[in-house]
Amino acid sequence: MTPTVQTALLIAGIGIVGIFIFMALFYLMIIALDKYLPYQEEKPAEVYLSETEEEEEEIEE
Amino acid sequence: MGVEQLMPAIAGMTWQHLVMIGVGLILIYLAIAKNYEPTLLLPMGFGAILVNIPLSSALTQIDPATGEAVEGVLNIFFNAGIATEIFPLLIFIAIGAMIDFTPLFRNPSLLLFGAAAQLGIFLTMMLAALLGYDIREAASIGIIGAADGPTSIVVASRFAPNLLGPISVAAYSYMALVPIIQPPVIRLLTSRKERLIRMTGNNNKKISKKALIAFPIVITIAAGIIAPSSLALIGFLMFGNLIRECGVLNKLSLAAQNELSSLVTILLGITIASTMTAERFIRVDTLIIIALGLFAFVFDTFGGVIFAKFLNLFRKEGNKINPMVGACGISAFPMSARVIHQMGQKEDPYNYLLMPAISANVGGQIGSVVAGGIILTLVPLLA
Repeated sequence: MTPTVQTALLIAGIGIVGIFIFMALFYLMIIALDKYLPYQEEKPAEVYLSETEEEEEEIEE
Repeated sequence: MGVEQLMPAIAGMTWQHLVMIGVGLILIYLAIAKNYEPTLLLPMGFGAILVNIPLSSALTQIDPATGEAVEGVLNIFFNAGIATEIFPLLIFIAIGAMIDFTPLFRNPSLLLFGAAAQLGIFLTMMLAALLGYDIREAASIGIIGAADGPTSIVVASRFAPNLLGPISVAAYSYMALVPIIQPPVIRLLTSRKERLIRMTGNNNKKISKKALIAFPIVITIAAGIIAPSSLALIGFLMFGNLIRECGVLNKLSLAAQNELSSLVTILLGITIASTMTAERFIRVDTLIIIALGLFAFVFDTFGGVIFAKFLNLFRKEGNKINPMVGACGISAFPMSARVIHQMGQKEDPYNYLLMPAISANVGGQIGSVVAGGIILTLVPLLA
């Protein structure tokens, strides 16, 4: 086995493991982002306005 | 006055030039008649004609009167855009602006196929080393398996600029040939029962805008901390994506997806052709590289499919992965996902694999760039 092939083997080994580590890390980041920044349904404008009015009334009372 | 003085181009024409002009015509034919990656193959084909007419002013020539070099426009483009890696990196901004990571958030586990389907890169690199290429050349040939033109160009222009022409032609040609390369390999590796597996996922799950904005930033920071030399590749891709997702730069996002992408693609294609001169291209090396490129694509598909089958050993019935989806872990987007979806529909018209296939395919786009970054980091370190 030539030194070049040995180096190629080493790079391939580290490379394959490395790429899985990278992708596993990205996977965990996606899970974390999805957990801590979840989708929230945007309220329709009418609902938002009526809620604001109710809140204002409560404050006045 | 003889023909040599009157028409020096004809006098200087050799059979090698004619072969290369033929190669250029074939690339143009494939681009127009077969619609194979026309945005790249057409400029490359035309460029191959342009640089293989003897004494072409598109290339640097020695002025016989003064003995001084007169720089050709394609050499200027090459030095400015490819040698400096500016063109492929600008393309990454455009690609980033085109990618929607939402499918990946819906099926994040499929991201791992973006790693498994890079197997061909590393196997091809080892095979190239066995065939006698030095490690830098072997890595550049292996990266054809990234199925990602700009990544191949970045790696090859840094490690083996002498092989840039054949590597680019192989990378883009095989990307266009995914519908021909992948199905037989997949059929060989899977049973009909496996191809019939239906996948249910969170295909309609809504993803928050904040998460999509944070994703490119977080990935860039993480990749930069782990492998700083991969940052140019990953960073530009993610920068393009941030422009897309931020919601306040719609005009820039559209410009990146359309004008930037089109302009740089034109320049990239025709500039790569400057390396397709007869002297550099008509060599046994070119045929070997093209054969190794095919090997890389076949083993990418192999890696993805076998990894899916391996994962299925640990998954319960009803929650198994259709192994064909594993093959989508390559970067050829959305072609690979479309091919797998069509294969699934051929086996069972009610099996809709498009969404999981797209998720894996988006993972492949990230995987190919990460693989490029890893090669760029490891080769100088270990060579």
